[in-house]
Amino acid sequence: MSVFDAAAFRQQFPFFREQPAWIYLDNAATTHKPQVVIDSLVQFYQHDNSNVHRGTHQLSQQATSQFEEARRTVQQFINAAEPAEIVFTSGTTAAFNQLAFGLMHTVLQAGDRILISALEHHANIVPWQLHCQRHGVIIDVIPLTVDRQLDQAAYQTLLDSKPKIVSLTQVSNALGNVLPLAQMLSDAKAAGAMTIVDGAQGIAWQRPDVQKLPADFYCFSAHKLYGPTGIGVLYGKRAYLERLTPLQGGGEMIEHVSFSGSRFNSLPARLEAGTPHIAGALGLAQAIKFISGFDAQQINSYKGLLLKAFHNGLQHIPGIQLLSSRHDNAGIVTLNIQGEHPADVAALLNEQHIAVRAGSHCAMPLFEQLAAPGALRFAFAPYNQLTEVEQCLAALAQAVEILTV
Amino acid sequence: MTMAQLITDTATALTAIRQQDLPQLQQPQDWQSKYRLLMQLGKKLPPIPEKMRQNEWLVKGCESRAWLLHYYDSRTEQHFFVLDSDARIVKGLLAIMLCFVNGLTRQEISTLDLQRSFDSLNLKPYLSQSRGNGLNAMVNRIKDVVAAH
Repeated sequence: MSVFDAAAFRQQFPFFREQPAWIYLDNAATTHKPQVVIDSLVQFYQHDNSNVHRGTHQLSQQATSQFEEARRTVQQFINAAEPAEIVFTSGTTAAFNQLAFGLMHTVLQAGDRILISALEHHANIVPWQLHCQRHGVIIDVIPLTVDRQLDQAAYQTLLDSKPKIVSLTQVSNALGNVLPLAQMLSDAKAAGAMTIVDGAQGIAWQRPDVQKLPADFYCFSAHKLYGPTGIGVLYGKRAYLERLTPLQGGGEMIEHVSFSGSRFNSLPARLEAGTPHIAGALGLAQAIKFISGFDAQQINSYKGLLLKAFHNGLQHIPGIQLLSSRHDNAGIVTLNIQGEHPADVAALLNEQHIAVRAGSHCAMPLFEQLAAPGALRFAFAPYNQLTEVEQCLAALAQAVEILTV
Repeated sequence: MTMAQLITDTATALTAIRQQDLPQLQQPQDWQSKYRLLMQLGKKLPPIPEKMRQNEWLVKGCESRAWLLHYYDSRTEQHFFVLDSDARIVKGLLAIMLCFVNGLTRQEISTLDLQRSFDSLNLKPYLSQSRGNGLNAMVNRIKDVVAAH
């Protein structure tokens, strides 16, 4: 097998030609888009634009067929049993809002418990809080160990309290940890829980096989997988999707409406009210086709090389406090400089055209536990280069030097 | 450290900043030097001790945290302030702002055009959206505090 050609991969992304001065390491926030994805959006709006479903004219039928083909592309990518198990949403956050709303009463009753982890993004916390408080559902949290891994012993104990739902991230957006999901989800299923996976960060790390992974639901956003913003996926096994009360009403999701009540359409339309982000779905399908053209294992090995080079270089910079793990890491390095505020360091990196993120990365409860005011996050993607790692290290060293003179 | 000491030390620091640092800031120089200067002038302000960093003095709207203490001299009708932040760049910018504000009367503060003062120092490139917001939040807090007297 040939090795991963990082230069050829990078070439596919016009952003880097347009912005040669920038080193982009904010990939956990959003990734750049390859030319084929951008082209697919233009192609749709320029040549094919028409609304999907309900249309009798040919243009609408063509748009519908492209849109449904995109759904099949997603289905095959994550190995869902059927296209109807792929619900298009505006992103992972929207998927979680649908889940939290949709599972109340049908699955969750007052006094029931759900279980999340200390590593969760706000998207897998706040929607639950919004609905659980009103319905008397209790949220438990798997804590961290001192070395900032999920406490597996505590997890086992928490499973004893029989949560109805276990909702976990595949990869921590703040620390990069890859969770041992296969085992954790099997344990959750054995304890009788319904399982949900936040794949927002994980989808670009390891493509899930949702028929093998004991996940009843899996959510992700296209824009972290080289696709457009504003489109994402709520995957659910049919029997579980059927149990969701629709969060949004109107449009394609109904079969019959009268003022005394409405009958809902079948899946997936039932959960896709209103005109969907058609171009976005086509862009996502293109992104999937694009990334499928590369060997995932090779991509991850290459990211491992970048990460190793970065970690090695960090050893020569004084005052580095590493928060992320060096192992089982999907490509995210989170750190602080002793005595310095992350916002200051990020500002000085910005002056050197290095895009990183400073703050609590939509995981405030995690940073409370870490007793840090936030941190700097360097998130690598396969289009990043070893030379960029070196430049970033030099820039970081200069930032530290300026701050501590 | 008492409030009176903080007020005195701040006033002394601001005099030094006005005389030494502000003229230097106006000189053309590379970004590194400008930031170094910003850090140094921030360090001149006395830190507010941890126990005086009460929540009621915390100013929100910054990506970092900042605190504002206030003292009103009823005899001279002057308003004095003490500032601190856990981020150095913000503290440097706040120190500059304080150079224009400290010791003014309510009337003088209400007519102050801080934007113009900042522009005159060529600091615009150093005011990112979030730092600019933080600074605005601090200016608003100062105006509120002063208006309450």
